Amino acid sequence: MIEIVDTGPFNTIQDLGRPGYRNIGVTASGAMDPLALKIANLLVGNDEGDAAIEVQTFPFRLRFRETTVFAVTGGGNATLDGVALPPWWMQTAGAGQCLELRPSPASARAYIAFGGGVDVPPVMGSRSTSLRGAFGGIDGRFLKKDDTLRLGEPAGTLPADGLGAVPPAKALAEFFPNAPDGTLLIRALPAGEHDLFGADAERFWSQSWKISSQSDRTGYRLSGEPVRLPASVEMRSYGIVPGVVQVPPGGEPIVQMSDANTAGGYPKIAGVLEADLWRLGQARIGSRLHFVRSSHAEARALDRALADYVEDVRNTSQMVARALKTIAGR
Amino acid sequence: MSAVDFSDPATIAFLAAALQAAGVDGIEIEQSTRKVRIVVERDAPGAAPLVQTLQTSPGATQLEVVTAPMAGIFGANHPESPAPSSKPPRKVAAGETLGFIRIGSVLLPVKATQPGMLTGRVAKDGTVVGYGDPLFEIELRP
Repeated sequence: MIEIVDTGPFNTIQDLGRPGYRNIGVTASGAMDPLALKIANLLVGNDEGDAAIEVQTFPFRLRFRETTVFAVTGGGNATLDGVALPPWWMQTAGAGQCLELRPSPASARAYIAFGGGVDVPPVMGSRSTSLRGAFGGIDGRFLKKDDTLRLGEPAGTLPADGLGAVPPAKALAEFFPNAPDGTLLIRALPAGEHDLFGADAERFWSQSWKISSQSDRTGYRLSGEPVRLPASVEMRSYGIVPGVVQVPPGGEPIVQMSDANTAGGYPKIAGVLEADLWRLGQARIGSRLHFVRSSHAEARALDRALADYVEDVRNTSQMVARALKTIAGR
Repeated sequence: MSAVDFSDPATIAFLAAALQAAGVDGIEIEQSTRKVRIVVERDAPGAAPLVQTLQTSPGATQLEVVTAPMAGIFGANHPESPAPSSKPPRKVAAGETLGFIRIGSVLLPVKATQPGMLTGRVAKDGTVVGYGDPLFEIELRP
């Protein structure tokens, strides 16, 4: 059992979401940085898709009611009873210890996983909180001070001294480069109405966009020099998935994120590669991004690199835990 | 751990009897300030054991060597915080993380086993170390 001591708004319980119900209008939800969620879960010996806490407003504090294995990944500077934890780290907390997360300059969202996962009732196969639908997580709402969360049954023994993952920004640096000035490079493919933008389409790719303050788990509104259709087009509504970049009449694009609507009608200029969505999920309001035209081949290569990294963390952390147990036993 | 008082004759007698019962010829015990050697006569039960006590000076510093918990690539800093941690000598607390061993995409902490003064780093960043290889030296101040 854990107890929320202090939290800002919009911190929710999330897992990998509930895809498969968009046809009946149910938003998929799920972690904005699914990679960080998976690694946090693997570090505590869970299945990669178990439910964890997504923290996007800080400071966030929780207290452990009993000895608990936990991991913090993504953004956020974590301390346990005032002692700093390395980034992307698993550790065991004793009963009564307090975990505090403060914002980190580089990343917007932190994930806290617990051995056994957060035990809230699944809704349509997922424990993710749907704030707009008001279901999932705890009654479909964000966490509040004094909430208590039950945890599932933790698996096996883990290294007593703690253990971490090399953060993906380091481990996969060659696959996920940034511009020298720190601008996030987000790879995307041209989408259905891309060519209708004519000469303006080039401006979509050539400029850097700022993530405006009107950005949340539903989508990011970008600000920059508008891109407009030379003539208005009449469109039918179409299905939307995270990563779809739409251009409303104002000409400033919207990138759909985890809580995206299931359908929309604005012309879509591009689709962000799924492999780059975790980085977008960590991008902070006010930061800049640049869309880079990609290919299906690159998308497949990035998917493979991510899958290899996740597999390596899964296998190596288990191997290390077994080896340490053997060493300790002799 | 409370230290056993080896200046007490009863302790020595008890140990000597235990050694004899176990068929062991002798034992050497090292404490922070003294070293005790007890040798028993195997064929003469009841004979007084030979006891040597070596007093080390009480102000002397003891060196604790922190070793690698597992084979891997050593680094004193977390890969995401390139800023070097303050150079030795510096005070460290028991359980404080001094460095990391990287195994694939996984990092294991190297922790101070006892509080003291971190006086030296034995291994260089980026070197492959084996289980038990010395990484850091900590001076224990009594």
